[in-house]
Amino acid sequence: MLWACILLPQLALDGVLRGRADPARPLVLLGGPTQRRVLKAANASARALGLRPGLPLSTAQALALGFDSAEYDLAQVAQAERLLAAWAYGFSAQVSLHYPRALLLEVGSSLGLFGPWPHFQATLHQGLAAMGFSRRITLAPNPVAARVLANLHDGLAVTDPAALEAVLCELPIACAGLAREHAASCQRMGLRRLGQLLGLPRQAVARRFPAELLQHLDRLRGLAPMALEFYQPPDRFEARIELNYDVESTQALLFPLRRLVADLAAYVLARDGGVQRFVVQLEHALGPPTEVPVGLLGAERDPGRLFELARGRLEPVQVARPVRSLRLLAEQLPAFVPGRRELFDARPQQLQPWEQLRERLRARLGDDAVLGLGYAADHRPEQAWRAAPGPPAQAGGTRPGWLLPQVQPFAVDAGALQAGPERVESGWWDGGDVRRDYYRVQLPDGRLAWVYRALGEPEGLWLQGWFG
Amino acid sequence: MSPEYAELHCLSAFSFQRGASTARELFARAAQLGYRALAITDECTLAGIVRAWEAAQAEAVALIVGSEMAVEQGPRCVLLAENLAGYQALCGLITAARRRAPKGEYRLLREDFSGVEGLLALWLPGPDIDLAHGHWLKGVFGERLWLAVELHRGPDDAHCLARWEWAAQALGVRCVASADAHMHARGRRALQDTLTAIRHHTTVAEAGQRLFANGERHLRPREQLAQLYPPALLAETLAIAARCQFDLSQLQYHYPRELVPEGHTPASWLRTLTDEGAERRWRKGRGKPCEQLDKELAIITDKGYEAYFLTVHDIVRFARERNILCQGRGSAANSAVCFALGITAIDPSNSGLLFERFISRERNEPPDIDVDFEHERREEVIQYVFQRYGRQRAALTAVASSYRSAGAVRDVAKALGMGPDAVNALAGCVSRHGDELPTPERLREAGFDPANPALRRVLVLAGELQGFPRHLSQHPGGFVISEHPLHTLVPVENAAMAERTVIQWDKDDLDKVGLLKVDVLALGMLSCLRRCFDLLRQWRGRAWGLVNIPSDCPATYAMLGRADTVGVFQIESRAQMAMLPRLKPKEFYDLVIQVAIVRPGPIQGDMVHPYLRRRNGDEEPDYPSDELKAVLKRTLGVPLFQEQVMQLAIVAAGYTPGEADQLRRSMAAWKRHGGLEPHQAKLREGMLRNHYSEAFAARIFEQIKGFGSYGFPESHAASFALLCYASAWLKCHEPAIFATALINSWPMGFYSPDQILQDARRHGIQTHPVDVRYSTWDCSLEATDAEQPAIRMGLRLIRGFSQGAAEAIEQARRAGPFTDVADLAQRAHLDARAREQLADAGALKGLAGHRFRARWEVASVQPQLPLFAGVQAPAEAPVALPRPSVGEDLHADYATLGTTLGPHPLSLLRRRLSKWRCRSSRELPLIEHGRPVNVCGLVTGRQRPGTASGVTFVTLEDEFGMVNVVVWLDLAERQRQALVGSRLMQVQGRLERNGEVIHVVARNLLDMSGLLDGLAVRSRDFR
Repeated sequence: MLWACILLPQLALDGVLRGRADPARPLVLLGGPTQRRVLKAANASARALGLRPGLPLSTAQALALGFDSAEYDLAQVAQAERLLAAWAYGFSAQVSLHYPRALLLEVGSSLGLFGPWPHFQATLHQGLAAMGFSRRITLAPNPVAARVLANLHDGLAVTDPAALEAVLCELPIACAGLAREHAASCQRMGLRRLGQLLGLPRQAVARRFPAELLQHLDRLRGLAPMALEFYQPPDRFEARIELNYDVESTQALLFPLRRLVADLAAYVLARDGGVQRFVVQLEHALGPPTEVPVGLLGAERDPGRLFELARGRLEPVQVARPVRSLRLLAEQLPAFVPGRRELFDARPQQLQPWEQLRERLRARLGDDAVLGLGYAADHRPEQAWRAAPGPPAQAGGTRPGWLLPQVQPFAVDAGALQAGPERVESGWWDGGDVRRDYYRVQLPDGRLAWVYRALGEPEGLWLQGWFG
Repeated sequence: MSPEYAELHCLSAFSFQRGASTARELFARAAQLGYRALAITDECTLAGIVRAWEAAQAEAVALIVGSEMAVEQGPRCVLLAENLAGYQALCGLITAARRRAPKGEYRLLREDFSGVEGLLALWLPGPDIDLAHGHWLKGVFGERLWLAVELHRGPDDAHCLARWEWAAQALGVRCVASADAHMHARGRRALQDTLTAIRHHTTVAEAGQRLFANGERHLRPREQLAQLYPPALLAETLAIAARCQFDLSQLQYHYPRELVPEGHTPASWLRTLTDEGAERRWRKGRGKPCEQLDKELAIITDKGYEAYFLTVHDIVRFARERNILCQGRGSAANSAVCFALGITAIDPSNSGLLFERFISRERNEPPDIDVDFEHERREEVIQYVFQRYGRQRAALTAVASSYRSAGAVRDVAKALGMGPDAVNALAGCVSRHGDELPTPERLREAGFDPANPALRRVLVLAGELQGFPRHLSQHPGGFVISEHPLHTLVPVENAAMAERTVIQWDKDDLDKVGLLKVDVLALGMLSCLRRCFDLLRQWRGRAWGLVNIPSDCPATYAMLGRADTVGVFQIESRAQMAMLPRLKPKEFYDLVIQVAIVRPGPIQGDMVHPYLRRRNGDEEPDYPSDELKAVLKRTLGVPLFQEQVMQLAIVAAGYTPGEADQLRRSMAAWKRHGGLEPHQAKLREGMLRNHYSEAFAARIFEQIKGFGSYGFPESHAASFALLCYASAWLKCHEPAIFATALINSWPMGFYSPDQILQDARRHGIQTHPVDVRYSTWDCSLEATDAEQPAIRMGLRLIRGFSQGAAEAIEQARRAGPFTDVADLAQRAHLDARAREQLADAGALKGLAGHRFRARWEVASVQPQLPLFAGVQAPAEAPVALPRPSVGEDLHADYATLGTTLGPHPLSLLRRRLSKWRCRSSRELPLIEHGRPVNVCGLVTGRQRPGTASGVTFVTLEDEFGMVNVVVWLDLAERQRQALVGSRLMQVQGRLERNGEVIHVVARNLLDMSGLLDGLAVRSRDFR
């Protein structure tokens, strides 16, 4: 068996950078509580400004101006790991995510298919480069050694145990994959290279360190086996890109969309399958996301064609609110192992008809024609009533159920004042401040009107709605 | 004709995150609208009532004292104090409700109301009327209950009014109009919405129905009220207001009496104690200033302050019994009486300080004595006070923390929906403690568009919010003690710290109402001095104390003149060190000046240079008049102290003492609130009337303005000067003892143990490394051949080492020396962490050899199980381990101890540095003024004083001492990275010499940290 390790040294950073059009701009990832924000990662151009991981944000701001920042998002890292595992699955049936931010692949069995190692390695490099991930790749007779070698090396291929021993002896202790406190202990004893530790009597080492240390060393040298859990691809695809600024036109969404669709294509390709229907969701700072469903007549997996289809569906969409992030969801992937899926498939089938009905209605009448009535907690009537997807909500007690889409001038000849004035002064924070006195007026024909007078403008009444 | 009206339900800013106007604004508005009276009814608190009282007096609108509160599982109501009994009942209710809830909350129960009298109640039934609540209130308050009708142009006011009137009729009570005012004018609507969002930890956009629907909850004009309310309801407000006759001036405060024994009056007992103390202080009555004591006691009796002095004396007596060092300061502290009572160690008869300067018959201000105690032992004193007087009668003073600009910007920006990073960036544009909002340039620099409307909203609202109280917290040590339970004077609530109770008023409130407070403060230097005295007793066999340190020691003053003051109290900072050679103190009063002169006040008031010129004889002191000569003579005609400014206003401008005190308050606050303008005119007129020149008046006013909030009182400077002299004397004569005590009292002061040890070595003191065979927790002294003992570094220097482990080692060692590491570990019960810390720190060298060996040895120690007791561990074959290199030892020393006894890192780099023509700190005095020079050193300090415009002072340390570097603003901007990021810095620049003071003015900065290879040097950034 031969094990390749693909170490992804800046996975979180790559995950953000690949969604950006200009990856050369200085970028740092931030984590920690609001009171004490800390740099978790910095790209090369940010490092050139003197920004280093571990620096408090306040210090970073004192050091340099004009760098971008994004959230260090563990969920995004996990998503990228899953994506890459699915991709690697195309090269080996034994892929493991045992180590964080690293892929382990058993490649001994795949060499026949993908060529001799240098060629195979080049293929891996190319694939990862195309997806925008930096990486280091090593090859060793056991997975632990492959992972440890990747700490220091890139491109190193060690295939026989004797050569491995020699390489390991030269490894600095800090890079040997020991638990942090054990590595520190070794250094405090003056042990700088792994060879020095391996040269000590086993008994003496066993007395001073817990059993895990010797176990790790044995596995590293191939003297003991390592049990790995292997990756199983799921039968759905989900990916998300956070935009670094609010986007208000679909044109600006095309670049991240291309990334997402390419990831999808890479994913289904690795499964040797295709995709028949997927949804692009435009997520906003507030409110529910805008959904753009993309349906195909047959399964497809060519990234270019998938992108053109998605683009065709996205471009006519009116972006009403600024878009913060983009999500791609594909639930319908042709079965990878058909038999298994029939046996264990537990997806609730009854959800389908409503979705389908809604989709069909929307397809027939247009997306804007099918809406529910939502109620938002806001004192301004026009803000409190909004058309929104989902079931209609209950409205407050003393207000009419029917609001006019546009207020109209209200001319009174005769009518009885039933209640009022009710004063509403609210909404200064978004520039839509209203100051009005509302009245309930009964018209001679029995209709109840809801009208207001704007404060500060004594002339003119406006009709806002009718009571039922 | 508008109807008369009194507002009975109004919240001020002290209903935190609810009230959107200050009392001052509310009363100004009430006066403008012609209200007959205004009740301030903050929610279950009287924290803002004194301010309301002041505002009411200023605007001549009657204040009704009250509070709004919600009974648990019961009604909400407003309670108004009808008379003194009602006020006391209200304090009692609030105290009960606050004491049973965590800080900031309250739980008011129905049973709290039993026996309550003197209170009028307004029931706030809300839209969903629960008549049962009304019946209960009726049962409690009877004819003193009303139903509050509060109309805010809601969806159906007429309907609400009808229902409330029906409910009132059903209960048989009358209705009364009130406003539930949350702000003084409609314009505060946005701020009120913002506060609501802040209170609910949400944004205004998300706050929805939690916001008020409109801005009607303000003090509305009477004609508008007439449109909304039936006349009877408005008239009723006047009837209620007329019944509320309580005024805060009716409060009677009594000092505790138990300190006076049977058969004595407070005056006779104070006399007795003073006489007893005077006997001790002035041996056989020699030099005893009898006349002075009589005069002071007469004034104290005249003012009725005996009990105050007795209380302070009692606290100080307790401290002395416990061997806790203390020293009083403040206006009354420098009196002969306080010296006799042991409150201060300054003998007023030979310090040149006069009591009348600090307290006088005419000036009607209460005496002020702050007592500093050892910082590690102040808690004992605080608990003593609580025990002595009981929790009912003693409590800490509150501090009303108010919004500074950074906090205001932060909270408002969050409430307006800015993201966390943007909030941080925006808050970063304003200084943390400042009161100014960011400039457009600063905003643009941080990536904001100053014209953006959303940003403008944030800044406008933050500007409004600034200065608003935010929450109550406890004063660090201000006690109020009373003869009667405190909650008959002011509500008492829980502090954040367990076992503490806090009253709802701060020190200004106390002044106003006439309550006296005693400050029990903490001071690190006192801990250090007490340790010095303990060591002196052990080591030299002499009982020294603050009182008997030889005064006027020429060697000590010579040392101060050389600015050799690392560790000396108050004058060890870089700015102080730069001043010392210029001022060259020769006597005690010079130290009083030295302590006060290097402060932002004198610096911004441009008082330093005139004083120095006159002192050095370059300029003749000039006094505009003989009267002013008396005031300013001791500072050569330049006003340096707060007291002098006040005195100056009295003498030259004809201020009364009371007005002078007003001036002092305005000086402290003018930057925030303005308010100095009336004084400008008044001072000028007064001075011109007294025949002073226009130019003189203008100059004095500028100096007062510069003084601002930073003026330092002479009464405090004198006490600090005493500690300063004591620490200087010890440093001069017992440097080993002083350094040891300083390190053992750390953290305190300006310098790290590393810097203190280096300074000690430069003074020829031997230092011995941490060694588990000899070291105790504290640093200790070891005898040498020389006159000065050596310092043995203590285990406390090992980073993260526990005091418990150190004590276990000391105890085990008493039974016999340790044979090896296993013996040590077993007898001192050391865990793996402690063993490793000792090995890494090099403390096991005597038992196990160098660090690497020691670490290897301690790793093999295994817990002894009873079964194997006495069984020797199997012998191991020796293992070859490398020796640590000099660099590795150095690295480990800094990482574990923060200091090294080995070579200084710069001495290891010196050869390489000389290739770059870097000069050492030792060579600098030989270089001429103005010459280009290169220096390199560890960055131990970066300081950007608010006073010096844009200059950063960097302190570099090399193997011989310190180098002072001046970095001007433009260079700092250009080389931000090197300036902020370097641990080892090379500076290319020009040498500047001013007398004995040497700076390097930087032209170029180079980050050389790479040379250090991970050397752990901590830099302390001072702002």
